[in-house]
Amino acid sequence: MNIGDVLPPLEIPLTRSLIVATAIASRDYQDVHHDPALAQERGSPDIFMNILTTNGLVDRFVTSWAGPTAVVKRIRIRLGAPNHPGDTMTLTGSVSAIDDRRVTVDVVGTNQVGVHVSGLVEVEL
Amino acid sequence: MSAYDDRLAAFVGRPLVALRPAADPVNVPMIRHWVEAMGDTNPRYLGASPVAPASMMQAWTMRGFGAPVVAGGFDELVALLAEGGYTSVVATDSDFEFVREVVPGDHVSVEEVVEAISPEKATGLGAGRFVTTLKTYCDAAGSVVATQRWRTLRFQPVASSPVEPVETPRPRPAVNLDNAFWFEAAREHRLVVQRCLACKTLRHPPGPACPECQSFDWDTVEASGRGTLYSFVVAHHPRHPAFDYPLLIAVVELDEGTRLITNLTGVTADALSIGMPLEVEWLDADPELTLPVFRPVATLEH
Amino acid sequence: MSGFSGATAIVGIGATEFSKESGRSELQLACEAVTAAIADAGLRPSDVDGMVTFTAETSAEIHVARNVGIGDLSFFSRVPHGGGAACGTVAHAAAAIHAGLAEVVVCWRAFNERSGERYGLGQADRPMDTNADRAAYAWMTPFGLSTPAQWVGMFARRYMHEYGATSEDFGRISVIDRARAATNPKAHFFGRPITLEEHQASRWIAEPLHLLDCCQETDGGQALVVVSAERARDLPHVPALVVGAAQGSGHDQHMMTSYYRPSISGIPEMGLVGNQLWAQSGLGPSDMQAAVLYDHFTPFVLPQLEELGFCGRGEAADFIRDGHLELDGSLPLNTHGGQLGEAYLHGMNGIAEAVRLVRGTSVNQPGDVRNVVVTAGTGVPTSGLVLGAA
Repeated sequence: MNIGDVLPPLEIPLTRSLIVATAIASRDYQDVHHDPALAQERGSPDIFMNILTTNGLVDRFVTSWAGPTAVVKRIRIRLGAPNHPGDTMTLTGSVSAIDDRRVTVDVVGTNQVGVHVSGLVEVEL
Repeated sequence: MSAYDDRLAAFVGRPLVALRPAADPVNVPMIRHWVEAMGDTNPRYLGASPVAPASMMQAWTMRGFGAPVVAGGFDELVALLAEGGYTSVVATDSDFEFVREVVPGDHVSVEEVVEAISPEKATGLGAGRFVTTLKTYCDAAGSVVATQRWRTLRFQPVASSPVEPVETPRPRPAVNLDNAFWFEAAREHRLVVQRCLACKTLRHPPGPACPECQSFDWDTVEASGRGTLYSFVVAHHPRHPAFDYPLLIAVVELDEGTRLITNLTGVTADALSIGMPLEVEWLDADPELTLPVFRPVATLEH
Repeated sequence: MSGFSGATAIVGIGATEFSKESGRSELQLACEAVTAAIADAGLRPSDVDGMVTFTAETSAEIHVARNVGIGDLSFFSRVPHGGGAACGTVAHAAAAIHAGLAEVVVCWRAFNERSGERYGLGQADRPMDTNADRAAYAWMTPFGLSTPAQWVGMFARRYMHEYGATSEDFGRISVIDRARAATNPKAHFFGRPITLEEHQASRWIAEPLHLLDCCQETDGGQALVVVSAERARDLPHVPALVVGAAQGSGHDQHMMTSYYRPSISGIPEMGLVGNQLWAQSGLGPSDMQAAVLYDHFTPFVLPQLEELGFCGRGEAADFIRDGHLELDGSLPLNTHGGQLGEAYLHGMNGIAEAVRLVRGTSVNQPGDVRNVVVTAGTGVPTSGLVLGAA
């Protein structure tokens, strides 16, 4: 493994079911994540994916590459454009630092509108 | 700082959410729901000795559906922000650091403390304040298992009709009886220098009396607008919304001998050298304020 | 030597912790520091009959006195111009005691400069007024020149131009301060020294000033107790005699922007202070075993060395590069870490360090210190002290 190594990109079709199922699995019952009418009332075009799921998908993206022995030590994300039903989010990443067993991966997730998430994940191998 | 700022500042360091245990210990059924929904097939999560996904940390301590809202710091802060017009919220950053993995049987608690509330910032969503908190997750023994720095923007929603962005004007000069003439002349695009009527000594910045001969009588002369660069700074931080950065600020020595503070235009920092010839150009900053700025003189001309 | 030299002494020092957010009122910080200084002096609050602080202080002497048990006051004064006031407070106290106006004078400064009103953010949005002080900003803020770092940058650029000094020459001051702070547990930057490379790599604040040329911002309080040398003999600590104490405001003086003098590569008001200190004390630069020089921004340390006569005009960069300011050099500098390393307490923490140097109790004590020179804020009307052992 070397600095600059690129992870295989991960394309995630964001179905309405996925956005609702992940919100409920994370015990996040805010209406904007499952009720389109209420989401519109609050100024969104539709329901949108919650932040716990952004963390979860970034986690999945990096650990599925790093393998089952990897232990996640840090997930730092900055949030951008929301993910709505029907969007596809493409996660890309590359190794930005290696310090002994600690590997840092820079991650970006984009949808049709732009960057949904950017950040980094540190794993210990 | 305003009284409102003081009231906001009083929240810094305060717990927003007092230590709250998760409804249930870490358990395999909830992990199963999570990894199914996320599409995560990592064998560690549902194997013989399962661990919970790191990113699931926050899920353990979520309030759940229909949970009663307990009055406390969080609601007080939300109410105070609403009072300032910051009625909308969007999360901007999350930074998890994990001390150890949690496993079924661990009972996680969370506490959230306000770290900082920013001054009002202009954002794409509207004027708002960034609220940074630190959530600390502990196990049943009270040992920290993870921390999460959490930043949200509480903002005043911009009306949906397109609004012309309001430009921040340059800071107003404090004009008084001693300096008003200079700013009035500037509005007429005249760069003037105060002159002692008795001994004819020029002085800038102006004042009521001549330091050379103590005369209180004075008039002004109009400067040629030519000078040289005496010193300069390239301002980067902090940024005032009226200016573009990096901002070139200079002391210019006029051919008449006095110096003044000004801005440089038509030139970049790397092309500046002390002593270079400059000439005045007028900046009508806004209807109330005109200022002399200086640009390099074309070499052939000087 | 004047009769004033050595007639008084600093016998007590007291401070709060230095932090980024005290969580307490500025008045409380003042009361804590004053109480601690009086206790350190082995005196009671009721012994105090004089108080001196800065005009910039937000807690008037009556509020501090009332809270900490100080009763009748026969002398009180305030010194203007921000950090330039620091040594001036001791000068006022010493003069008052020498003149018989008071016997025990407390000098202090306390603020929430980091969590409250931060000077570093600039003057641009301060309330409008038309008095002479405020009108002076009319020549600066409309052009975006509104922060101390920018004001100092203008002098620094000219100094570099005239003497060939470089950003690295300024950076060496920062490296020295941070090295001293690294071994001072009270310092904000305890355990965190820097290299010259880190200084050079730090971001621009106002070119030619990098971030690491600028001092930190601090919440805290610092107080000092001054009494006559005679009374000092009966008190518990080794007295730090006020061998010299002076204020100075120069020709064509402005507040941080004296850009209109024939030359701006020196600090004439500091030269004025230095000349008085040497005349009062009968001492000179070579008699100093340490220096606490005001370091809100590194570039102004260089002309201070020149104005005080430690080296010639334009020679400070070489003087520093030759190692004179190191702990084992001829003039150990800012042994507490300075305002870049310990805390920004408007220079008052530097006076306390000078007292510790005379007592022999600095955490970075460079051997026996008979005399130490201390300076106050630069770019403004300023002040200085020589403190010495009895």
